[in-house]
Amino acid sequence: MPISTKLRRLAVGVVLHAFAGGVAAGAALTRSDFIKLELRPRVCTMSAHDQQCSTVVQAQWQSSRDESLCLLIVGRPEIKHCWEGYSEGIYTLKLAFSEDLVVELRDPQLQTVLVSEAITVIKEALRLRRKRRQPWSPF
Amino acid sequence: MLDSWPVATLGQLKRTTLARLYGKLDHRTMRQISRTAMFLLLATFVSLDVRAEETDCSEPSADCVEMGQWDISLSLGGGVRTNPVRSNSDIPLLAIPKISYYGKRFFLENLELGVTLHETDSNAFNLIAAPGYDRVFFVRNDLQNVFINSVPSGLYAGAGFVDTTAGRVPVPGNVPLRPRRITYLAGPEWSFSRGRLTGQLNALYEVTGRHKGTEVRAAVSAPVIRRKGELVVSGGATWKSAELVRYYYELENVYEPGAAFNPFLKVAYDLPLSERWALSAFVHYEHLADAVADSPLISEPQVTTAFVGFVYKVL
Repeated sequence: MPISTKLRRLAVGVVLHAFAGGVAAGAALTRSDFIKLELRPRVCTMSAHDQQCSTVVQAQWQSSRDESLCLLIVGRPEIKHCWEGYSEGIYTLKLAFSEDLVVELRDPQLQTVLVSEAITVIKEALRLRRKRRQPWSPF
Repeated sequence: MLDSWPVATLGQLKRTTLARLYGKLDHRTMRQISRTAMFLLLATFVSLDVRAEETDCSEPSADCVEMGQWDISLSLGGGVRTNPVRSNSDIPLLAIPKISYYGKRFFLENLELGVTLHETDSNAFNLIAAPGYDRVFFVRNDLQNVFINSVPSGLYAGAGFVDTTAGRVPVPGNVPLRPRRITYLAGPEWSFSRGRLTGQLNALYEVTGRHKGTEVRAAVSAPVIRRKGELVVSGGATWKSAELVRYYYELENVYEPGAAFNPFLKVAYDLPLSERWALSAFVHYEHLADAVADSPLISEPQVTTAFVGFVYKVL
């Protein structure tokens, strides 16, 4: 096969691949792709003796268009804050938690999770060792 | 007649021989009791379910401690340690402190300290240093008697005691007695657990240059009841070399003892009441070998330590 034919086929292949990729990317765009959620802090570190991580949590979201959505925290049904027709929002609260804290933005009907982020809890490991066995001890 | 020993002269020693024979009958009885007790103890251990119960120390427990943390507790209650030394009074137990600290290798348990050379879930090999135990019967302010209030001395205190705070013992007649200094023994220790059974074996050599004796401490223990409270039975023995026994129980030119083998039995009960409080009680019975019990300094061939009280965890 002549080299020119090979080059022509290769060029067609590249164009088709690029086109297909673009279509796929366009089709995958959803509402959640426009919304960005950031949590602070991103990580909460507990010492070995801490029972809980107690800190002020700030959740900030932004969108390239106006949104109506609600902020929820997994496992904390009492916490809910909603916005209607806003392109950004900040919600701050003090929380104590011992496991990873998952924050979600959902549609106003709370059916669909638009975006979620988590604050990771890192617990310092206890350094343990076996106690000396002393059956001889008088006490 | 025995009670007159502290004021006796060397010439009166012969008159005590008959009484000592009666004492030996007691020794035999006590030996039988000790042997029976040891047999019962072994039978208990053999009958125990010895399935492996070793934990991997993933969280703090009675067997696992956090490194780098002080553990301080104080037992408050009532008890006594009988004093086998003639005319020295029993030692009341009112407050028993306990302090421990564990590093990665180093550990401190009250007056004992050591380094762990090798450790697995079921075995530990340590190098330890521990104070000589027998001094507690001679010197009231020995650190091993710390927090134990003194009581008035015995009937013959005036005649027999010479400055106990300086480490001296009753002086019968003109027999010179050396002071019992603080000694430390050091050596290897093997401890192990096999199912519920826990064991400890020490081979210690006196390193403070007082008598250069050796001591072997061996014991096993096992919980026989383990519900909310725990009842633990322990048994073991201490072998003391002649040098060590002589340092404490010899009367120069009068009595020269040999090595001694002292068996003991202990029953202890602990009941946690809260995070910081627990109820604790124990009885520890030690039978003194003839080499010790036959010493003119000794009036009783056994030592019983008993205590019941509340333990408060300070740290």
